[in-house]
Amino acid sequence: MRALPNAAPSDAELIARSLDDPEAFAPLFDRHAATVHRYLGRRVGELADDLLSETFLIAFRRRAAYRADHVEVRPWLLGIATNLVHVHGRTEQRRYRALAREAGRHPGTAAGPDDSADRLDAEALRGPLAAALAKLKAPDRDALLLLAWGQLGYEEIAAVLDVPVGTVRSRLHRARRQTRAALGDVSPFAPTSEEEDR
Amino acid sequence: MNDLTLLREAGPEAPPLSPAARSAARAALLAEIEGGQPRSVRLPSRKVRWRIGVGAVAVAASWAAAVVIAAPDAVGPPPDSVRLVNFDMPTFPLSLDPAPAGLRPAFDGDGDGAGIASYDDAAMENGFTVHVGVDEPEGTGPDDGAPGYELLAVDEVPLGDDEVEAVTYAREWCVEDTATGCVTERRRFTWLSWERRDDQWVSLLGHGDYADAEQLQEVAGSLVDRPQPATLDVGLAPEGWSIRAYKMGRVLTLVNDAYEAQDLTVHIPPAEDVIPADQVRESIMGPIGPQLDVTVNGRPAQLVRVDIGYVIDGHRYEGWYLQAQFPDGTTFVLQAPEAFTQEQVLEMAEQVTYTP
Repeated sequence: MRALPNAAPSDAELIARSLDDPEAFAPLFDRHAATVHRYLGRRVGELADDLLSETFLIAFRRRAAYRADHVEVRPWLLGIATNLVHVHGRTEQRRYRALAREAGRHPGTAAGPDDSADRLDAEALRGPLAAALAKLKAPDRDALLLLAWGQLGYEEIAAVLDVPVGTVRSRLHRARRQTRAALGDVSPFAPTSEEEDR
Repeated sequence: MNDLTLLREAGPEAPPLSPAARSAARAALLAEIEGGQPRSVRLPSRKVRWRIGVGAVAVAASWAAAVVIAAPDAVGPPPDSVRLVNFDMPTFPLSLDPAPAGLRPAFDGDGDGAGIASYDDAAMENGFTVHVGVDEPEGTGPDDGAPGYELLAVDEVPLGDDEVEAVTYAREWCVEDTATGCVTERRRFTWLSWERRDDQWVSLLGHGDYADAEQLQEVAGSLVDRPQPATLDVGLAPEGWSIRAYKMGRVLTLVNDAYEAQDLTVHIPPAEDVIPADQVRESIMGPIGPQLDVTVNGRPAQLVRVDIGYVIDGHRYEGWYLQAQFPDGTTFVLQAPEAFTQEQVLEMAEQVTYTP
């Protein structure tokens, strides 16, 4: 069996084409809508439906400013989404606080014999983790969640936030230190190199 | 397990992307691609509108996003470049005569005027939305792809010389966003749409007591051509600025026509979002100056210089956050870009009015 050549244009090629043929932009929605929505949904809940639409409208309007040599399309979209989350900063914080309260009221179902230790750890930390996210400064939270939920690298985070990589490192260091501190004794963390987590 | 794994496994989960939401977002993008500007061919979901109403937009510093969106372009003129002039708000073209008892309108619109009037009772349990546009709405209502959609009845309703279909349906409705997802209940709606005159399509969507063909027929019969002013008004605006949008009758965004990235927002926060006067600085994002005790409408107000969190071409953009009150004690927030002087922020705030 021989693999067929991949005829699908890359994301960057679609954006380039869309400058002359705007309809070429539409497949980017099909490729990335679920990823962008999931990232937004974890941050702002149901408001993600609205912000998903806004993210792609903004991306389309700003496509001429996209630089393929600067960052790939998925991180670029997540950067736009992150900036939209900023607009709703208090909504995001309220969501985390509400989730923390909710987890406090309903600390989870009883453990079964098949539940792994990690799963139990995660369940127990759901509320404290949401509370910790609410307390982070917005730029630090952006960097942390682009890393953890967006699965972006340091350089990509720097590109989409328009800050130096060193700033990303310091924001991540601060965010992770504060998150660990907020979780305190209940944390199961093993010390790790932050670079290894990328 | 490390902290990143924990964030992925125990962090807040995203609600699922519903087919309806995905379709709506894709349709908006395609409309933008095809027409340059998205058109309101569908009524907005009331679910979305209510969600916005409970605070999502209420605290929005929409200009902050606009600044970021504009990168790497410049973000408007420098401080001391704003000149405030008298400003007339656009209107909603229709009124109801008689006005529906116990319901109050809130308007959504843009620089061309309001296109949506939402009449709701105080509990938001009963009411209807009036949508006015030049295009015929698509489909059989705004929710025909909604979760749990179930068509209940189609009634023929006489309106003028025409018979119009009134579609009654039920759907799942998100009433609470929890750690485990949306708590839903089934709710009933009735929708009808007709061309009231050439190039004026009117749609009505009723809920609660108004999820009924006869009720909506009565509402339709009470519509008259009498413009209604917006409930949130600014008597002054920077010269060369226009309205970008107003929402729920409580959020108003103006934009600098020469620099689309530069705008300002006035909003009426829900009572639960009003920040105690002595905690404004510590409760908002990016404060960089002290909390200044100022006076607006003869009442104490709080003004804070804020860093909007972005540096573009080496310039760190700042803005103003003002929490003030109307003479009746209702709180409003004005967020302005750094092009405004402190005096202009206060001068503009003095001219903001709210008549719900």
